Amino acid sequence: MSSLSVSNSHLTNELAVSIRGVGLTYTTSIDKKPTLKARVKSLGRGKKQTRVVRALDDINLDVEYGQVLGVIGTNGAGKSSLMRCIAGILPPSQGRIEVYGSVSTLLALGVGFNPSMSGRDNVFLGGLAAGMSREEIAGNFDEIAEFSELGDAIDAPMRTYSSGMYARLAFSVAAVVRPDILIIDEALSTGDAKFKEKSLNRVKELRSDDRALILVSHAMQTIRETCNDVAWLHKGKLVQRGEPNAVIDAYQEFLHLGKSAVIDEDF
Amino acid sequence: MIIGGATDSARYAHLTASLFLFYLVANSLTGGVKSVTAGQRLILNTAFPRIMLPISAVVIAIFKFLPTLVVFVVIKAIVGSPFTIQMLWAIPVLLITIFLSLAVAITISCINVYFRDIASFLPYLTRTLLYLSPILYEASALKPSLRAIEIVNPLFPILDSWSRAVVQGKAPELSSMLQGLGWATGIFFIGTYFFLSREREFAVRL
Repeated sequence: MSSLSVSNSHLTNELAVSIRGVGLTYTTSIDKKPTLKARVKSLGRGKKQTRVVRALDDINLDVEYGQVLGVIGTNGAGKSSLMRCIAGILPPSQGRIEVYGSVSTLLALGVGFNPSMSGRDNVFLGGLAAGMSREEIAGNFDEIAEFSELGDAIDAPMRTYSSGMYARLAFSVAAVVRPDILIIDEALSTGDAKFKEKSLNRVKELRSDDRALILVSHAMQTIRETCNDVAWLHKGKLVQRGEPNAVIDAYQEFLHLGKSAVIDEDF
Repeated sequence: MIIGGATDSARYAHLTASLFLFYLVANSLTGGVKSVTAGQRLILNTAFPRIMLPISAVVIAIFKFLPTLVVFVVIKAIVGSPFTIQMLWAIPVLLITIFLSLAVAITISCINVYFRDIASFLPYLTRTLLYLSPILYEASALKPSLRAIEIVNPLFPILDSWSRAVVQGKAPELSSMLQGLGWATGIFFIGTYFFLSREREFAVRL
């Protein structure tokens, strides 16, 4: 599959991302959907409407070109928050993040898609949302369609797609961009087993000396196979960083888990 | 006085012209109010200027408004309303209206992040604005005792100027245009400041 290249050439071990003393604290509402009515009702009752969340605490991390960094941790560890900070979606409350190159994120699939439009139209919508130009998407359309294995269904409205078909098309659009720094957050768990394997191979193809990959996953086997460096986060703090097997073993020991197919469950 | 005016044809032209312009602002409000909350997936997963969301709602409202201009020109020709060079004053009036639409869309989209039921109040707000604006009546027909609504309603001077330009073919009063521009500028700066100072936390509020 040919891909769009937006990368400049970078030397191996050249700094791609520098994270220094990063903290992320934010205030969010307790109610999932805060309303004026609830706020007025609570006046004078002293009921708290917001809570403060400390998502990241003094994170120091460097990612170099040529590195594939796996990020692991339990739910709520701060993995996604850290990825959003690197991607510039969430500004950190403390510290500094320096990014040396173009960043593309695969944090969620199908961002920008419109279910009432056809798969073909959504390739353009999703591509535009990912930062591609209309010409770039048109030039790569055939490869995207072929990779998605949708066949004639590409012209059907996306509301008629199964969740697997939806995810396959979404991954195919996202996988066509080749930035300097690619952040992937649990986006590989899409489609059937065959497509999952194809997706993993695609990510492995993206590994190169002049690119930095950051991969967030709960699938330890994927991390072991794909990454050459692993960072373990827990409750917003960086617990350990180093060689994949050592960090993953320590993480699993921390969780009091043995090695099993379920824990390493992957594709 | 309801639907007051000089002649029946002038009344009809005034009603349609004012209503079409009013719905440019109303559609910007209804489109803008949920523009940020509906763009949750984009906000959580993509880095882009969040202010593009309410702006896009206003662009959609403008595209809905443009065909109504053609409809109005046809109606104006049918009712025999005069076409004059002074009608070109409609251009700055329209620009002020778009500016006001942008201002209210930005402001209300941000408020809706913190109070999600604002959208439920919107029909009452637009209905109230409709009755308080010189649409079903002409501004000149308003009793002096009711002139206070002219001061508190941003749409009042704009719709009055619009009607004078496109219906009567006269130059609008400069004071009305400046009043409309003043409202739009004030709401724009307050709303944009509020939006830009809060947009950093949208991703954790949605």
